[in-house]
Amino acid sequence: MDTSSKKTGATSRSAATTTSSRGPARTHIGWLKELWVRFLSNTEFGAAVGHFASRAIALPQLRRLAVGAIPWTPLRKPLSECTVVLVSTGGVHLRSDRPFNLNSDSSFRVIPNDAQAEDLAISHQAYDRTDALKDINLVFPIERLRELAAEHVIGRLAANHYGFGLMGSAKRLMPSLKEVARRISESGVDLALLVPA
Amino acid sequence: MGVTTSALALVKEVAIAAHAPRFLYLRWPFGHALGEPGNIAQQRAVLHDMLSMATSAPRPGLVVDLPYKWRREKYPSVIDWGTPGDAVVSQLSLLSPQDRGEKS
Repeated sequence: MDTSSKKTGATSRSAATTTSSRGPARTHIGWLKELWVRFLSNTEFGAAVGHFASRAIALPQLRRLAVGAIPWTPLRKPLSECTVVLVSTGGVHLRSDRPFNLNSDSSFRVIPNDAQAEDLAISHQAYDRTDALKDINLVFPIERLRELAAEHVIGRLAANHYGFGLMGSAKRLMPSLKEVARRISESGVDLALLVPA
Repeated sequence: MGVTTSALALVKEVAIAAHAPRFLYLRWPFGHALGEPGNIAQQRAVLHDMLSMATSAPRPGLVVDLPYKWRREKYPSVIDWGTPGDAVVSQLSLLSPQDRGEKS
């Protein structure tokens, strides 16, 4: 797929992890919900329904909460010296860790920077995670970022990364958000990349 | 101490209302913020755009609309990670000088 990389001298490795026999674990959500998420993620009408629900749930809360000056921290170093952290809301966690409550979960999970696809799991019921289970980078691009660190595009990955599950209430998420923000800002991270479900 | 942030979004109005420092919006299905399984060039292109936004967004609150069509796009290899990506550069160039933070 990336055949032009040889000509440009780019050093990216070709994907091997998608052929791993043990990818991330799929948390069971039931056949009816699987049909529903397939509708949401893979059909045009489903996407419209999903967008509508997302707006209906989020906009009123954001109008109330996202007020005041927008925080602004320009990068203080070149990318090649930056420590990067990944935060996901796709329900990603270590397989050995407690799964997210599928209906709503305000907690977070910590994922170490050397986690392999087979060490991970996805517990989420509001998107079709079939493709993410084949290639975790779609919702948690840790392998791609490891490659970029090896290529010195970014300095390094932070030791720990953070995953959230499905949660409709921003207010109930606040304690977890503040804790994750505190950990990130106290760990010498320069850049946080946020990936939605 | 502040941390620079760069975020992907799949629902544009929510990204705008969130008033976050830097957002990149993609018209892609839920569960596919970085693209298609196994499409490394695509995933690297999106990461390049996120990093470009981190280095070159002129002011907070912008939502850059990435033009990539779902499953109908080819992604060239990123040659120079130090240079912002074309999609981000062209979107940012559409801003008025005031929006870019320059004196008009």
